[in-house]
Amino acid sequence: MTAMAIGTALDYAVILSYFVAILGFGLYFGRYTASTKDYFFGGQRFSWWLIAFSCIATVVGSYSFIKYSAAGFTYGISSTQSYLNDWFWMPILVIIWIPIVYYRRIQSIPEYMEARFDKKTRIAATFIILLYIIGYVGINLITLGRTLHTLLGWNTMTGATVTAVAVALYVYVGGQTAIIMTDLAQGIILLLAGLGLFAAGIYHFGGFEGFWSLLPQSHKYAFSEFNHPPNFSFIGIYVQDGLANTGALMLMHQGFIMRFLSLKSVTESRRMVVCWILVLAPLAAIATSCGGWIAKALVANGELETGAQDAFVKAAHFLCAPGVFGFVLAALTAALMSTTDSLINAVSAIFVNDIWRPYIRPDRSDKHYLLTARITSLCAAALGLALVPIFMKDTIYGAHGMFTAAVTPPVLVAIFLGILWKRYTPTAGFVTITGGAILIGLSFIWPDALVGPFNMGMGPDAYKFMRALFGLLASGVLGVVVTLFTKPKAATALVGLVGGTQIDAMRQFKGGEPNRRPGKKVRVRVCVDETLAGQNVVRVSRQALERMAAEPGDLLYANDARWWYGGLRSVHVKAGTPHNVDESEMRISPEDATTAKFTPGQTIVLEKTM
Amino acid sequence: MDMSRVWPIVCQYGIGAILCFIGIWYGLRGGYLNLRLAKDRRLMVTLIAGYLLMLALVCVFTFVAPFWPNGDRP
Repeated sequence: MTAMAIGTALDYAVILSYFVAILGFGLYFGRYTASTKDYFFGGQRFSWWLIAFSCIATVVGSYSFIKYSAAGFTYGISSTQSYLNDWFWMPILVIIWIPIVYYRRIQSIPEYMEARFDKKTRIAATFIILLYIIGYVGINLITLGRTLHTLLGWNTMTGATVTAVAVALYVYVGGQTAIIMTDLAQGIILLLAGLGLFAAGIYHFGGFEGFWSLLPQSHKYAFSEFNHPPNFSFIGIYVQDGLANTGALMLMHQGFIMRFLSLKSVTESRRMVVCWILVLAPLAAIATSCGGWIAKALVANGELETGAQDAFVKAAHFLCAPGVFGFVLAALTAALMSTTDSLINAVSAIFVNDIWRPYIRPDRSDKHYLLTARITSLCAAALGLALVPIFMKDTIYGAHGMFTAAVTPPVLVAIFLGILWKRYTPTAGFVTITGGAILIGLSFIWPDALVGPFNMGMGPDAYKFMRALFGLLASGVLGVVVTLFTKPKAATALVGLVGGTQIDAMRQFKGGEPNRRPGKKVRVRVCVDETLAGQNVVRVSRQALERMAAEPGDLLYANDARWWYGGLRSVHVKAGTPHNVDESEMRISPEDATTAKFTPGQTIVLEKTM
Repeated sequence: MDMSRVWPIVCQYGIGAILCFIGIWYGLRGGYLNLRLAKDRRLMVTLIAGYLLMLALVCVFTFVAPFWPNGDRP
């Protein structure tokens, strides 16, 4: 049974309203985009909680509710293990990787590849990552089309087209800012819908104990068994998801790099990651899986008949009133759109930063690159849409899956060794990426010979998981061996690009010694000063500087005092020489006041970032 | 004790500890992670607390929760 057969007109009205609201929401925030920095990185001004929601909305992909509910129905609460193995990457992410990309102003993974290795590695990475992301746009659109076909009865292509047009429109107009703001709405909707469904299920069973008692004991473990069953064993999921995919998400996913660079400061990334991984990810794990657990309990109680694939939709329909069911379906759509938008923006960033700007039209105005970025976003959506009929052939769909499996581990290993090992050479970086991808490609031809030794006794059924382990090890060995026989880059060329040199990256970012003395935020009144025109400088009283523990030349962040703007109305400035007028006055240039949408006399919060 | 349920914890939290150690070590080595600063100490505490919290959660749902009595239901 599909939702088309069981949904009501009210449900469809709710979904339609959701589409219109999200589109309007995204288009509204287009007015905050005036440069490529705004378009790709949201002006680097956002608060941690906005980016945390944006990250979780992107992680919960088009397939998550259906896939994890099906796993929850079949295997129980161990369906959450994919969402709960991210924390271990956090130190590498917030202590090494984010400081490097943020302070070195790295705008894309290929750009890092050239800075850390050489141009040919950048070209290889650009080619691989673009294929990977555009393919993913197509995969998301077809998944989305198929889901809408199941839910609403629409033709797959129609569903994919409607959503692609909606997403492309708001990404075209608003770029990263529109994505982050719509992701906030979409993240809240999908968490509310999923957790609401769980609460409704618990209520239906008369409390947690009633629900828990209906699950078979095998469904009550946090992890599946170490190497059983072959297509859902712990070790298979861990190497594929916990190591390869999560590592790739944290270190090589252009969409996430752009989110991290949208934060107002590197320090803010710490709170963001804690909120994302420790709070929102477990909630998302419950939200996406609970449909399966509840369906299993309903089946055990003799109240429902369903298979794993329909578990989410049937459990939702069983528990939800008309209209509420539409809200749950809107959450499914939210998950679809919030992943696709960031992929489209990521394609645009890589095309402009790694192809158009360096090779085709160098030295043009920022306005030119902004227009190019917008057009590229439309093209990326169109290209993804063009892939939908092609991906309908399972062989092509499968081929993209193979391609993804082949390129993810080598690029991840190249970045991992690149940030941790100074001796790791440019030649080794190139060989790791290309040779690793070739070796993994060969593993599809000779799986028994290459992946077989790593199957942990699970047989061929586990190859698709254990290929990630083979890929990581093969790429790592290639990288280490080639490094031992080739010449590394000079240590001076690696400053700010490898772990242990983050402070140097901070110096480069600031153009001077970073000020890390702990200070406080101060509240000041805006006074637009025409004499500061053309300077990215603010002048405050000496007392205000002392409270912030800041000196002239330090980097400051001026933000609207209303926290719920999340940094939308803010600007990065430098501290100028102090004035002696009014302790609570901040003098700011007309340009910066306009950028931040500050009005004269308005109270704002000022803090030192470095 | 069913070791097929224990090995996942050992594996995930063992490799996880190594990854955490690498991140922290590279922070301390270059002085970026400065434990004389309160915000960096807070980060260390958060990292360790997060690790232990996740470990406690999976231990509960491996060694305790599966054996909660089923009440009056079959």
